[in-house]
Amino acid sequence: MRPAPATFLWFAAHDLRLARRRVRAFFGSSGPIKIALILGAAILFFHALAFLALDVALEDFDDGRRALYPYVGSAALFILPWIVSQALTNATRALYSRGDLDIVLSSPMPARPVFAARSLAIALESILSVSIFVLPIANALAILADARWLTIYPALAASGLFGTAVGLILMLGLFRLVGPRRTRVVANVLATLIGASFAIGIQAYGIASPATRMAISEWLAGARAGGLLDPDSIVWIPVRAAAGEPGAIALWCGASVALFLAAVLTLGDFFMRGAGAAIGSERREAPARRRLTRFRAGVGAALRRKEWRLVSRDPGLASQILLQIIYTMPISVVLWRAMGPNGSLALATAPALVAVASNVSASLAWLAISSEDAPEFLATAPVSRREIERRKLEAIALPLVVVIALPLAFVWSAGFRAGLVTTAYVAAAALAAALLNLWHPVPGRRGDILRRHSQSKLVAMMEHMLSLLWAVALALTAFGSWSAIVPILCAVFLLWTQRPKAALATA
Amino acid sequence: MSDDTKPDDSPALHLRALSKSFGKPAVDRLDLTIRAGEFYALLGPNGAGKTTTLRMVAGLLPPDSGSIAIFGRDALRDPIAAKRVTAWLPDEPMLYDKLTPLEYLEFVAGLWGVPPEIAEPRADGLLATLGLADDARSRCEGFSRGMKQKVALAGALIHDPKLLMLDEPLTGLDAQAARLVKDLLRERTRRGCAVILTTHILEVAERLADRIGIIQHGRLVAEGGLADLQAQAGGDGSTLEEVFLRLTGARADRAA
Repeated sequence: MRPAPATFLWFAAHDLRLARRRVRAFFGSSGPIKIALILGAAILFFHALAFLALDVALEDFDDGRRALYPYVGSAALFILPWIVSQALTNATRALYSRGDLDIVLSSPMPARPVFAARSLAIALESILSVSIFVLPIANALAILADARWLTIYPALAASGLFGTAVGLILMLGLFRLVGPRRTRVVANVLATLIGASFAIGIQAYGIASPATRMAISEWLAGARAGGLLDPDSIVWIPVRAAAGEPGAIALWCGASVALFLAAVLTLGDFFMRGAGAAIGSERREAPARRRLTRFRAGVGAALRRKEWRLVSRDPGLASQILLQIIYTMPISVVLWRAMGPNGSLALATAPALVAVASNVSASLAWLAISSEDAPEFLATAPVSRREIERRKLEAIALPLVVVIALPLAFVWSAGFRAGLVTTAYVAAAALAAALLNLWHPVPGRRGDILRRHSQSKLVAMMEHMLSLLWAVALALTAFGSWSAIVPILCAVFLLWTQRPKAALATA
Repeated sequence: MSDDTKPDDSPALHLRALSKSFGKPAVDRLDLTIRAGEFYALLGPNGAGKTTTLRMVAGLLPPDSGSIAIFGRDALRDPIAAKRVTAWLPDEPMLYDKLTPLEYLEFVAGLWGVPPEIAEPRADGLLATLGLADDARSRCEGFSRGMKQKVALAGALIHDPKLLMLDEPLTGLDAQAARLVKDLLRERTRRGCAVILTTHILEVAERLADRIGIIQHGRLVAEGGLADLQAQAGGDGSTLEEVFLRLTGARADRAA
C-alpha cells in the first residue's frame, strides 16, 4: 500500500528511494545480482572474521559481558563520531546540492515532514554505513558469548538517530555561526575531523611524550574508579545498552529518539530557510577596488592559473586531503615505535608522506583530468589534447608541493640524505599516481571527489597498491634494506601494465 | 584576429558530402558553403542533424566521411589551424562555476593565444557590452542561465573568431539581452566574421540571416534568402514558419 501523497510517510518513501539509489551508485554499473553477490560475500566475510577473532579473544574473558565493556566502549568511540560525521556530510549535501529541494520548497508541503523524512533517510544511511562491520560482531557475540549482545541492533539504531541529531544540530549551528557561504567547506572539514577523531586520538597518544602518556594513564585510572569512565557512569550508557542491560537500552533508545525528534521538530523551519539562503550563497564578490586578474600569455599560464583557481576553491578537496593525511599518519607512529628509543619521528614520517603525496597527487590529477568542467570546450581550443594534459599535470604540481612542503621540510631536518631520498620517492609516487589517472580517466563531477573511487574499482585498487608500494619501499630504504628494490620494481611493473598501450590492448 | 587567417577568397566554411551516422544517418552527405561576413541560419526539426554538423565543424566529432574546410584549411587534416579561427557556442554554456567571468576570459584568451595586452581590454569591453561589468569578479556559480550564456558568448568572441558557430544562442536570454546579442552578431558579420546559427526561433532567422538553410534527416532540403525559400516551398508571401513547416513536411495546423 502506498502512503498518501504529501505526508511524512510518502516523503520518507521518496527519500528512501533516493538513498537506495545513492547506495547503488556506489557499486558503479553493477547489476542487482552482482551487487547482491558482492554484499553477500562481504557479509559472509565480516561474519567469518568476527567469529574467528571473537572465538580466540573470548577465551581470555571468564566474566562475560562486563569484561568486554572497554572494547565495546572503544568501538563506540569510533562508531558514534563516524555516524555524526556521516550525518554532517549528508545533511550538508542535502542542503547545498539542491537535488529536489527546489521543487519541494516551492510545493505547499509543510517544512516539518519534509525535514523529518530527509533526516530519517540520513540516519538510515549513517547506520547502514557501519552496520556491515558492527552487526556481524553482534551476531558472533550473541552466539559465542551471550544472546543479550543482540541488543547491539537497537543500540546501533539509537546511535544512528543520536548521531544524526548531533550532525544536524552541528550543521545548522555552523550555518548560523559562519554563514551559508562558508558552511559547506567548514562542515566538510569538521566532518572529517570528527569521523577520524578516534584515530587522531590514538595517534596523538602514540606520539605524545612519555610524561604526557603517563599523565593520561593516571587520569584514565582515576576516571575509571567512580569517575567519568566508571562503567556505572552515564558515559557508559550506550555500551551498557549494547550489552543488553534493560535499563540502559531503554534510556539510550529513549534519549536518542527524543533528541532526534527534538532536532527534527525544532530545526525543520530553520533547515528550509537555510536551504533558501544556500541558493544564493555561491555568489562571491572579490574586493571591488583591486583588480584581481592580470592576464598572462600562453596556453601553459592559462591552464595553470585555471587549475590552481579551481583547486583552491574546491570545498571537497581540503577535507579529502585532511582525511588522507589523518589516515596515513599511523604508518609514522608504527615506524617510529619500530625504530626504538633512538628513532627519529622525522624519518618515520617519510613513508607516510610518500603515501600522502601519492594520494593527493591522484586526487589532483582526477580533478584536473577526469572532472574537467568543460571538456568539449577545451576540445574546441587550438591546442592538442596531449599538450592540454601535459600542462594540466604541470599545473597540479604546485598544489601538491603546497600540501607536502612542510612535512617534507620536517624530513629534511633529519638530514640531507633522508631529505633527498624522501623527495625522490615523493616525486616518483606522485608522478605514478598522476600518470595512472591520466591513462585511466574516470569521468565524474568535481563535487564527487569523495566518492571518485566508486566509479572504477580498478583505478582505486591500483592507486592504493602504488601508494603502498612506494611507502613500503621508502620504509625499507629508511631501515637500510636493499630489499626496497622489490616494491620499487613492483610499482614500476604495475604502472607499466597500466600504460595506455596495454590498456588499449586489453580493452 | 589570428594571423593564420588567409586573406583569400576561400569560403568561411565549406562542407562537402559530410556524413555522420549513429546507427542511422545523423548527417547525410551534407554540402554547405558559407561566405566570410555572411550570417547563416541553419534550421531544422529536432534531431535533423544541426548540432551534429556544428560539432563536427568544431572538431568535437569526427565525420564518417566528407570534408570540412574553414577559410581554405582542411579542418580534418589540420584541426589546430582551423580551431584557431573558429568559435563554438553550444546551447548549454560550458563554463567553470568556480571562475569569475574575467578569469574565464583570461583562460580562453590564453588557450587561443591572444596577447594579454589585447585580451585584457577586449575582455573588459565585452563584459561591459554584455552588461556583465558589475559581475566581472563574481564567480559564475551564482549566475542565472542568461548570465552564463552571456559569459560563454564573451568567451567565444574574446579571440575574435572568423567563423562563429552558435547553437541556440538566445536560449535563456531576456528580451534586452537577446537584442544585445543580435546586434553584437550583426556587428561581427559587418567586420567579416561568418556567423552560423541554429535556432528554433524562426523570427530570429528571418530578421538576421542573409541566408537560411533548412536541414532534415541530415540533408539540406532548402537554402537561400526568405524569397528563395518561399519560391522553393511554392507559396509566395508565406511566413518563414509556414515555409519551414511545408519544407520539412509537417502541416502547420498539425504543428500548432
